[in-house]
Amino acid sequence: MQLGFLVDLHLCMGCKGCEIACKVENEVPLSTWRLRVKYVDVGTFPETKRTFTPLRCNHCENAPCERICPVSALHYLENGIVNIDKERCIGCAGCVMACPYGAIYIDPQTQTADKCTYCAHRIASSMMPACVVACPVQANIFGDLDDATSNISKYIQTNQGNIQVRKPEKGTNPHHYYVNGGNVTLNPLASHRVDGHSLFGKITTLPVGGHH
Amino acid sequence: MAAHEILAATNAVVTLDVAIPGTVWPWLVTVNMWAKSIGTGVIFMLFLLLKKYPDQAGQLRFPVTVVSIIFIHIFLLFTLADLHQPWRMWHIFFHPHWSSAITVGAWMATLFVGLLFLLAFLSFIKKDNAAFDKTLPWVVALAVPVTLYTAALMSQCTARELWQMPAESAQMVFAALLAGSAFMILVFGGKLSWEANRSLSNILALSAFMAFVLYMSEYVFGPMKAEELAAVLEYIKGDGPYTVQFWLGQWMAYLLPMLLIVFSRVSKSTSILKLAAILALVGLYLVKNVWLMIPQLLPMS
Repeated sequence: MQLGFLVDLHLCMGCKGCEIACKVENEVPLSTWRLRVKYVDVGTFPETKRTFTPLRCNHCENAPCERICPVSALHYLENGIVNIDKERCIGCAGCVMACPYGAIYIDPQTQTADKCTYCAHRIASSMMPACVVACPVQANIFGDLDDATSNISKYIQTNQGNIQVRKPEKGTNPHHYYVNGGNVTLNPLASHRVDGHSLFGKITTLPVGGHH
Repeated sequence: MAAHEILAATNAVVTLDVAIPGTVWPWLVTVNMWAKSIGTGVIFMLFLLLKKYPDQAGQLRFPVTVVSIIFIHIFLLFTLADLHQPWRMWHIFFHPHWSSAITVGAWMATLFVGLLFLLAFLSFIKKDNAAFDKTLPWVVALAVPVTLYTAALMSQCTARELWQMPAESAQMVFAALLAGSAFMILVFGGKLSWEANRSLSNILALSAFMAFVLYMSEYVFGPMKAEELAAVLEYIKGDGPYTVQFWLGQWMAYLLPMLLIVFSRVSKSTSILKLAAILALVGLYLVKNVWLMIPQLLPMS
């Protein structure tokens, strides 16, 4: 079994229901996110459009975070999920530095690394991840990539030629795919980040730990 | 295509996202690398001096070992201080993950500390110089990977394109040679002849030159290779947030020490060498700090 995620960006309407569901399900502390939806505006008024991109851990086949973790706190589950053992984590933040997707953060409450686990605890009980359940338009598609009859496999087959992953040049082989993605949605260097243009514009940095 | 050209082409603006995480590896990691460079560098220099100037260097066996012990412990202390869960440090030894450079480095550094204490025992308690000299090559051999492992760790940071293994490993070696020679000139130069001081200053100048060439190569040619690298190096160009610190570091660590060493040749002045050594040690901290910080400024998503 190899669990994976696919987001159809054409369907996503940026409601952030997945974000909130994730926050509630996993008790993610304030100022930190396991999953978030990034808004990018493209074009010049009046010819503008807004894109929405849900971003979460990519559960890479060749995960830099798993490789750099000195104590195996980050580890693979048999179903392909890159899971984290917060009791073992020493908080070196090597994984935060290694992840090319900015998907890992230091939990300000536990002072350990944390990230999306595809809701591994729900999967163990044969439930879907919270973000999948919450999505009103079924833009989040989750399932077994090794099973040709799963929804995600069918979606990938149907949309061959229009499937993207983030930063493929990093060689991480993500198990998180996008349909109808592009440079603007998936490449962080393709968009301006201007102070004052963001809802959180006045928050310039996130607290990554208590003693810094 | 350079980053700014892509931005012009897309005309895209992030209008809603979480804030970029602050500095994940702070100045504590800079001190870690700086102290380790001195801790291993002085051992390299002691080995060299014992080979070239055994009569003068014999008296330095114990003091240099103590200096190395002190700076390796500063390195270890700051490594520990940087952990968010420092009391779980023992997990590295009881749950080691051998693909991680952090794990390998922690084990090697621990063994290195053990060997340093053995050297101290041999020189201070047993006063057995022959045994000290037989053990020293093994300590030097271990000091090399202890110096290099941080480069391996940085190269494992897949997200940070700036830190490439071949360049970083060379920089770590040059940093150790520069810091070791500078520290020896500064603290023990008075106990050594002009010839020995000159040998140390040659190492200082050569390592400064090589490190400077590497940094300039990255600075000039790096952006031609990768979009991400071009974006990172923008932080040390123009009115970038680290431009002043970068050039201050380059001048203090490399250019001024090289010039001062040339001047010292004319006047045979150890005072000028000591000034060069101070500048090199302070400048090395600045250089390391800039190189640690700038990749962390780049948004990853």
